[in-house]
Amino acid sequence: MASRDATVRAGPSGLARSVIRGWALAGGVVLLLIVLMNVVSVLGSALIGRPFPGDFEMTEIGIAIAAFSFLPYCQITDSNVTADIFTSKASPRWIALFSLVASLVALSFGALLLWRMWYGLLDQKSYGYETTILQFPQWIAFIPILISLALLVLASLITLRESAASIKSGNLN
Amino acid sequence: MADALFIGFGGLAVLVILIALRMPIAYAMILVGGIGVTLLNGPAIFMSQLKTLAYGRFSIYDLSVVPMFILMGNISTKAGLSQDLFRAANAWLGWLRGGVAMSAIAACAGFGSVCGSSLATASTMGQVALPELRRYNYSGSLATGTLAAGGVLGILIPPSIVLVIYAIIVEANIVTMFMAALIPGLIAVIFFILTIAIVVMVWPNSGPKGEAASRQEFLSATLRMVPVLGIFGLVIGGIYFGFFNPTPAAAIGVALVWIYGAARRLVGIKAITDALLDTAKTTGMIYLILLGAEMLKIFMSRGGVPQAMAEWMANSGLAPMTILILLLVSLILLGCLMDSLSMILLAIPFFWPVLVEINGGDYVNAADAGFGMTSEDLKIWFGILALIVVELGLITPPVGMNVFVISALARDVPMRDTFVGVAPFFGAEMVRVVILLAFPAITLWLPRLLSG
Repeated sequence: MASRDATVRAGPSGLARSVIRGWALAGGVVLLLIVLMNVVSVLGSALIGRPFPGDFEMTEIGIAIAAFSFLPYCQITDSNVTADIFTSKASPRWIALFSLVASLVALSFGALLLWRMWYGLLDQKSYGYETTILQFPQWIAFIPILISLALLVLASLITLRESAASIKSGNLN
Repeated sequence: MADALFIGFGGLAVLVILIALRMPIAYAMILVGGIGVTLLNGPAIFMSQLKTLAYGRFSIYDLSVVPMFILMGNISTKAGLSQDLFRAANAWLGWLRGGVAMSAIAACAGFGSVCGSSLATASTMGQVALPELRRYNYSGSLATGTLAAGGVLGILIPPSIVLVIYAIIVEANIVTMFMAALIPGLIAVIFFILTIAIVVMVWPNSGPKGEAASRQEFLSATLRMVPVLGIFGLVIGGIYFGFFNPTPAAAIGVALVWIYGAARRLVGIKAITDALLDTAKTTGMIYLILLGAEMLKIFMSRGGVPQAMAEWMANSGLAPMTILILLLVSLILLGCLMDSLSMILLAIPFFWPVLVEINGGDYVNAADAGFGMTSEDLKIWFGILALIVVELGLITPPVGMNVFVISALARDVPMRDTFVGVAPFFGAEMVRVVILLAFPAITLWLPRLLSG
C-alpha cells in the first residue's frame, strides 16, 4: 500500500504493471537499436562512404513505436506533468478525485485513439503505403502502436481503480 | 467567425481551469483541443484526422533527437562524469575565495553540455558538490543557491531538450538554434561566477577559500576532464560544423557516454535499465504534451485565436520592444506556475504570431521590420530570450523545482535560505536578459559566422 513502485504489487494489477513496465523497456530497446543504427550509419559514411540505407525513415518509425510504448508506463508511474501549485493545500480525497478525472480522460483518449488508429492501420494497409527507400510497409508499425494504446487503456483502468479506492479510504496510496 | 473566436477563448479558459485542477497538462490540451475541434468542424473531420495525427507527430524526424538526448543525459548521470567535472573545475578555481562554489557552477555548465535537463543537472551536481561545499564551511544559502541556479545553465548549453522543442514549434533550424544558444549560455556561466565573487566579497564568511590543488592533482584532474570535453566537442562540434545531423550526433553521444560509464564500471545492465525507464517516463510525457499541443493548435487556429491576439497587439499602438518585454514578463510569471516545457508548448504558439505580425510578416526586410531584423533572425533571438526566462521559474517561488530538488538533498538548510541564496543569481539572469535584449548581435553572431 505504501509503495509507489511499479513492480512490487501482487495480484492481477501487479501482473499488468509488470507487463506495462516490460513493454516500455522493450520500447527502450527499440530506441537503443535506432541509436545503434545511427552510429553505424555515421561510421559507415565516414569510413567506407556508405551510410546505413534508409536510416532516416527507420529512425522516424522506430522512435514513433518507442514513444507510443512509453505512454502506458507514464500513466501508471504518474509521470505526466501537472501544475500542482493551485491544489497544494487540497485534501488527499480531493486530490484523488482530480486524479480520478484525469484517469478517465486518459482512458477515453486511449480508447478513442485505439479505435481510430485501428482504421488508420487498415487505411495504410489498403493504400499500400511504404517507406521510400526500404519499402517497409507502414501498417506494420501500427501493430506495436495499437498494443501500446491497449496497454494505455489498461494502465488508465488501474490508476482509475486506485484513485477510486483512495477516495473511499480518504488516503493517498 | 466571432463565434469561433468566442469558442476559442472559452476553450483557453477551460484549459486553464483544468490545469489548475491537476489535470495532466497533456490531457488537458488533448481534451480541450479535441472537443474544441469537434465543436467547430463537426466530428467527421477530427475522427478522420485521429487515424494518423498521433503517428504523424511522433514520427517527425527532427523530434528523434529528443529521446536520444534524454537517454544521453540519463546515462551520464550514472557514468561518473559529474565527479570528474567537479574535481577538474575545483583544481582550477578552488583556491579562490568562493572558489568551490565557482567550480560547482563550471561543473554544472560542463554537465549541461552532455545532459539536456535542468533538474537532472541540479540533482546530479548537487549530490557531488553539496558535500564538498559543506565541508569547506560554505553558508547553507550560498551552497544550495549556487547548485539550484547552476541547473538552469543547461537550458542554453546544447544539447537542450526545450530548445529542440522550441525550434520545432516555430519551425526554426535546430542547428541554428544550437549555435545561437552557445554564447548566451557562456555569458551565464561567467555572470554566475562573478555573482559568487561579489557575494563572497560582501559576505566573506559565506564562502571561505579552498586549498590550492597540488601540481599533481591539477594535472590528473584536468586530464580527467578530457573525455567530457571530447564528447561535447564531437557531438556539438560535429553539429556546428555540419559533419552530421543532430539525430546521428545524439546517437553518437549516447554511445560515447555509455562507453565512458562502462569503462569506469559504473554503467552495467542495471544502470542501462534504469536509464531506459527514466527515459521512457520523460519521453512519453514530452511526446504526449506535443500531441496535446498539436490538437490545441488545430483548435485554436481554427477558432482564429492566435490571429486575433496578433492583430489586437499590433493595433494596440505599443512599440515592438514594449510588446516583446510584455511577452517575456508574462513568460516569467507563467513560469512560476508551470514547468518550462509545458510553458513553451502552451505559450509560444500564441506569442510567436504576435511577434511576426508586429515585425511586419514572415518575409519582411530587415530595414522595414519592427525589430530591425528579418523574422528568421527574430525567431532565433526571441527563442533564446524566451528559453532563459521560462527557466527562471525553476529557481523562483512558488514552484522552483530546482530549489526543491536541492532542498531535498540538503535537509539541514531551510528552503527559505535556498530561495535567498538563489536571489543574486536571479539578479544576474535579469542583467543577462537585458543585455541580450539590448544587443541582439550577441545571439545572432555565431549562427551567421558558422553558417557563413
